[in-house]
Amino acid sequence: MSAPVLELRSLSKSFGPVHAVKTVSLAAHAGEVIGLIGDNGAGKSTLTRMIAGAIRPDQGDIIVNGRKEHFETAQDARRAGIETVFQTLALVPGLDIVENIFLGRELLLPGATGRATRTMDVAAMRQRVEEGYQRFGLNLPDMRTKVAALSGGQRQVVAIARAVLWGSGVVVLDEPTAALGVKQTELVLSFIERLRSHKVAVIFISHNMQHVMRVADRVCVLRLGRKVHDGPMSKLSGTDLVALMTGAATAAQ
Amino acid sequence: MTRQQILGWTQRNGLFFALAILIAIFSILSSRFLTVPNFTVILLQNAVIGLIVVPGAMLILCGLVDLSVGSVAVLSAVVFGQAMASGLGLPVSLLIGLAVGAAWGAFNGYLIAIQGFSPIIITLGGLAGARGLAEFVTQGYTTYGYGREFAFLGNGKLLGVPVPIILFAIVFLIGLHLWYRAPLGRHMIAVGGAKDTAAEIGIKVKLIPFWLYVASGLAAALGGLIIASQLDGAAVTIGTGMELEVLTAILLGGVSFTGGRGSLFGVLFGLLFVGVLSNGLVQVNVSPYFEQVAIGAALCGAAALDMLYQRLERLNVPVENEPIEAPQAGEAR
Repeated sequence: MSAPVLELRSLSKSFGPVHAVKTVSLAAHAGEVIGLIGDNGAGKSTLTRMIAGAIRPDQGDIIVNGRKEHFETAQDARRAGIETVFQTLALVPGLDIVENIFLGRELLLPGATGRATRTMDVAAMRQRVEEGYQRFGLNLPDMRTKVAALSGGQRQVVAIARAVLWGSGVVVLDEPTAALGVKQTELVLSFIERLRSHKVAVIFISHNMQHVMRVADRVCVLRLGRKVHDGPMSKLSGTDLVALMTGAATAAQ
Repeated sequence: MTRQQILGWTQRNGLFFALAILIAIFSILSSRFLTVPNFTVILLQNAVIGLIVVPGAMLILCGLVDLSVGSVAVLSAVVFGQAMASGLGLPVSLLIGLAVGAAWGAFNGYLIAIQGFSPIIITLGGLAGARGLAEFVTQGYTTYGYGREFAFLGNGKLLGVPVPIILFAIVFLIGLHLWYRAPLGRHMIAVGGAKDTAAEIGIKVKLIPFWLYVASGLAAALGGLIIASQLDGAAVTIGTGMELEVLTAILLGGVSFTGGRGSLFGVLFGLLFVGVLSNGLVQVNVSPYFEQVAIGAALCGAAALDMLYQRLERLNVPVENEPIEAPQAGEAR
C-alpha cells in the first residue's frame, strides 16, 4: 500500500485531569473512507479539532504527506491540505455557491495588473466549480444560487464539495449527517461514496452506525479516549460496533 | 420566469424604475426639468454626499455605521482654514485637512473594528465631538478667501464637467471595482452577514472595517474641503445633517442596515432618487417644507417594500429542492 496522506502518531490531549485522547495513532490513505465512531465523550471531537488545527496535541505527531506538521491555527492545517467540515459548515448564507467555495481564496486575474488591482477571475472560478459539479456528479441547484436558499443537506454537500475542490489530501467530516432528515442524509452519503474514487482520504466522524457502515471502507472505534479497534468495515456487523463502542467487547487488534 | 425570478428581478430593479417614473413625472410637469444643465445641477448638489456614501455603504454592508461624517467634514475644513490662515500654503493645508479626516477615521476604526466598541455610540460621540472641536478651533471666527487655485476644487470644470462630479465619479468607480470585481465585496458581505464564519475562514474581519472607517473619514474630509471651496470659507455650518443624507441614500438604495446585503448600484439610485425628488419638487413649485416630508415618505416606503420582499422571499425558500422522485398519487403509506 502507498504511503499514508495523513498519519497520526500516538496523539494525546488532556484537559486538566481529563484524558480526552490517549495515544491514538491512525493512518489515512488516498481514496479511503475511514469511519471514526465512538460514544459521547470518546474523544472524537478532540481528535478532530487536533487534526483541524483548532487545538494543539500535548504529545504525538501529525504527519501530512510524510512531513511533520505543527498547526498553530486552522489556516495552517488547511494550508497543509487538511480540510475539516464542522457542523457549523462555515458557509455565508448571503453569498452564492461559487462565492462560498472560493471565499477567502478568490482567484485573481493572472498578471501584474490583476494582482495590483485585486481583480477576481470570476470566469475561472465558475469554471472550476462547473468542473467540480461534473466530476462529482453534484446534485445541486445552479451554482449561482444563494446558500440561504439551499436545504440542510445541500449546504452540507456544498461545504464538503468546497473541502474536496480545494484539492486537499484529507477531508475530515464532523457528523455530517447529524441534523439531517432521511432524504437529506441520502444526498450527503451518496456524495461521500462518490468521493472514494477521487483520491481523497475521507475521515467520517459519526455516531450513527448505519451511516458509517454504508460509506466507510475501514472503521476506527474510540472509547474513553483510546482507539479500541481499527480494521476493515466488511468484517464487522452493527452489533460488533456497538459492543466495541460501549466496551462490551474488546477487539483482537 | 418563475415567481422567484420575477420577485428577485423587481427587487433588484425596483428602485431604478421608481427613479425612471419620478423623472418621467417631473419631465411632464416642468419643461426645464429634463435638461442637461438641470441634471448637472442635481449631480453637483449630490456629488459631496455621493463620495461619502461609497465608503458609508461599505460600512453598512459590514453591519457598521459612521455617523460622524458631517462633523469630520467640518473639522477637516476648519483645520484646513486655520492652516491656510497661518500661511502653510495650499498643498500642505490640503494634506493636513485630509489627514484630519483619515486620523478621525482611524480613531473610529481602532475603537470599533479592533476593540469592538459599539459603532453607533462611538460615531455618535464623533458627531458631537468633532463639531465641538471644530467650533473650539475657530473660536467662532470663520476663515475665508483661499484664492483661485483652491476654488477650482469646488467650482472648477474639467472638459465642461464640474470637478466635484468628476471626484464623485472616480470614487464611485473605485467603489464599484471593490464591491463587484475585487474579493473585498464578498468579504464585506461575509463580515456583515456571518462574522464568526468569516473569521473562521480567515477573512480579515477587523482590518476590513478598520480601513473602511479610514476611507469614510478621508471621504468626509474631501467633502468638507469641496464645500469650503464652494463657499470660499470654512464655516462651522458645513456638513450639518450630512450623516442623515448619507444614511438616507444608502438605506433607500436597499442596503440592509443589519449588514450582509446590498448593492452599490442601488445606493447610486438611492442617491439620485433623493436628488431628483428634491430638485423636481422645487421645479414644480411644491413648498420646500414639503421636500423633507417626501424624502421621509420615500424612505419609509422603501423600508416597507423591502420587508414585503423579504416576506415573499421567505415564503418561497424551498425546504427540499433537490430533484427527488415525487411519491406517486395513491401510493400506500
